[in-house]
Amino acid sequence: GGGGGGGGGAGKMADKEKKKKESILDLSKYIDKTIRVKFQGGREASGVLKGFDPLLNLVLDGTIEYMRDPDDQFKLTEDTRQLGLVVCRGTSVVLICPQDGMEAIPNPFIQQQDG
Amino acid sequence: MAASAVSNPSQLLPLELVDKCIGSRIHIVMKSDKEIVGTLLGFDDFPLSLVLCSYLPFLIFSEITPEGRRITKLDQILLNGNNITMLVPGGEGPEV
Repeated sequence: GGGGGGGGGAGKMADKEKKKKESILDLSKYIDKTIRVKFQGGREASGVLKGFDPLLNLVLDGTIEYMRDPDDQFKLTEDTRQLGLVVCRGTSVVLICPQDGMEAIPNPFIQQQDG
Repeated sequence: MAASAVSNPSQLLPLELVDKCIGSRIHIVMKSDKEIVGTLLGFDDFPLSLVLCSYLPFLIFSEITPEGRRITKLDQILLNGNNITMLVPGGEGPEV
């Protein structure tokens, strides 16, 4: 039948090809480590990765959320809040990186004035 | 449900955590500046496409508008999971 649901379709395809659904990103190496996550819509959060699934839903502990204000571009400490144990929706995630794997630098794209 | 999800049995699966929250308070953060705090009645499995919140003991829908934060109280809501960014079991919601 061509009217099957999206979930059923994905399952049937996996059975047919006998292919394991492999993730291109192995999150198990980040378990119990602090990671930074960016979402669609501009939200950012960081927390300790406690669990995940192949759909990239995440469980973060001790989560801090950073919110972006329209008038201050992006300042980390301006608007943060503690959320604790949260589930992050995988379809909303755009970036995952270790918390200590990034740092803020001055804007390299500002054009320098000569003279 | 993907059969190969058990990569590390000691980790906490996201949908398990949401499942444990059924019947208690949950705080849902959307991609935009909208948040909902209420009691989780249930959710759809794949891919967390629907979340149902009831009014017991309260259901608050908070959104940021150009005028400021607007809070609406609702009885029940069926929430489309497309725009959900985070779910906080037992969350208090945005500071009022």
